[in-house]
Amino acid sequence: MNEEALQRSYKRFGLTPDASLREVELAFHKLRKLYSDNSLATYSLLEDGDLPDRLNSLQAAYDMILQSRLYSQPASDQAFPERRQEDRRDQDSRIVVVDADPQQKPGLFLKQMREARNMSIHNVAERTKIGPHQLQCIEAQDFTALPAPVYLRGFLKEFCRAVKVQDPDQLVEAFMMLYSEAT
Amino acid sequence: MHLSADTDNQSNEPRVWAIGGGKGGVGKSVICTALAMSLARQGERCVVIDADLGGANLHTFLGMPNPRHTLSDLFRKKVDGLEDILLPTPYENLSLVSGTRAMLDMANLSYQQKMKMIRQIFALPADHIFLDLGAGSSYNVLDFFIAANDGLLVIMPTPTSIENAYHFLRAVYFRKLRKVMKRLGVDELVNSSLNEKVRGGIRTPQDLMADLKQRDPGVGNAIALEMEQFSPCLIVNQAQRNENSELADEIAMACRDFFGIEVKVSGVVRADERVLISLNSRRPVLDMFPNSPFAEDVQRIVRKMTPDTEAEHERRSTAAQL
Repeated sequence: MNEEALQRSYKRFGLTPDASLREVELAFHKLRKLYSDNSLATYSLLEDGDLPDRLNSLQAAYDMILQSRLYSQPASDQAFPERRQEDRRDQDSRIVVVDADPQQKPGLFLKQMREARNMSIHNVAERTKIGPHQLQCIEAQDFTALPAPVYLRGFLKEFCRAVKVQDPDQLVEAFMMLYSEAT
Repeated sequence: MHLSADTDNQSNEPRVWAIGGGKGGVGKSVICTALAMSLARQGERCVVIDADLGGANLHTFLGMPNPRHTLSDLFRKKVDGLEDILLPTPYENLSLVSGTRAMLDMANLSYQQKMKMIRQIFALPADHIFLDLGAGSSYNVLDFFIAANDGLLVIMPTPTSIENAYHFLRAVYFRKLRKVMKRLGVDELVNSSLNEKVRGGIRTPQDLMADLKQRDPGVGNAIALEMEQFSPCLIVNQAQRNENSELADEIAMACRDFFGIEVKVSGVVRADERVLISLNSRRPVLDMFPNSPFAEDVQRIVRKMTPDTEAEHERRSTAAQL
């Protein structure tokens, strides 16, 4: 990925790469709204027919940031030996049983799995680099606030891995099915 | 980055503020006078310079009669320097340099005259100097705006004012870009491609920077670094309490995204009918209505923009109590 283009995307939102995903989302939606509402601040900037291009370029900047986070690897284990030990310790491999049906209510299933493993939303956010707000929307199956399917799929896999779902593919497919039905 | 006549004496150099904004009638002179009054009252030595060449009337805002000495005397070499036409005002710590009036030739200063005047401005014996610029985006206005330490953009919440402000911002940006390129000695190299690109559809500084970096990363990055220093301040004047509370932030957001220019929000000044009353009485608002919403808002802006001055005064008053 072009590092400079990524920097520029952050800059457009007035953010730096250490911003949380939530901050990125907020800035993106605010800016989008500013252009769409034809507000005092923006109306004279856009000529007739410029709006769709502008919104597309904003979306592209937002997508670029999401994508960069999706593929960013966690810091190498070698560099943080103590973390590695810790990780091993909480390799919580015990089998937990929750009552939500992963096919019918994958969001609730993820939430219960997370709780069964004594993890907060923020623990998961830290581990997955996915914004807490996005995670909450996944748990609540609030489809309106979720990113495009290509990213959503990646988010779901990360979430499953973080709370150690036994059969992640099945859950991801179930969730994506519900998502496409709803949108 | 500014021109300075006296580089080894920087601590005594005044802070120069330029007040522009493209549109006439948005309140540049009122804001300029009020900012200066507010700092003068704190004991800071302030000078307001009426740089609205050709349409000067700042003395009227201060309740002064037609000034005997003006910038015309300087440009016609009747006096040696700017200091010789410094006029006392009825207010303590506040002096005025009056502008030229109804002299169309003065609106066309030569570049040398302008640069000489800028050097003299930075050599004036004062703590703060406020340049009240005229409307429009002429080179005179742009060059003073660029030379100042703080460029303040005053707008009011109307489509026309905002449109002019964007036009002004773009004009300042490109003027500064030309200067930076000249200084780096790359104007010829970049000029041709620039012109071609401007015609071919590059409309914002952001597009331009991306293009420059692509053509020549070394030069592009050097220019970008200098241009990032360009960060004008924004004041929304005559704001309606509920409707315009977020306008300044929204404009800053739009400038960042659309132009790639970081605009700092200095503050919002509420619409206040006392401003008109004070204008008609030819007395500054801060003198006539020191506790008005207008005065409050201006003082808030001054506090935000001069945190050190504030701290210094606190230190002094604590010392006095002890």
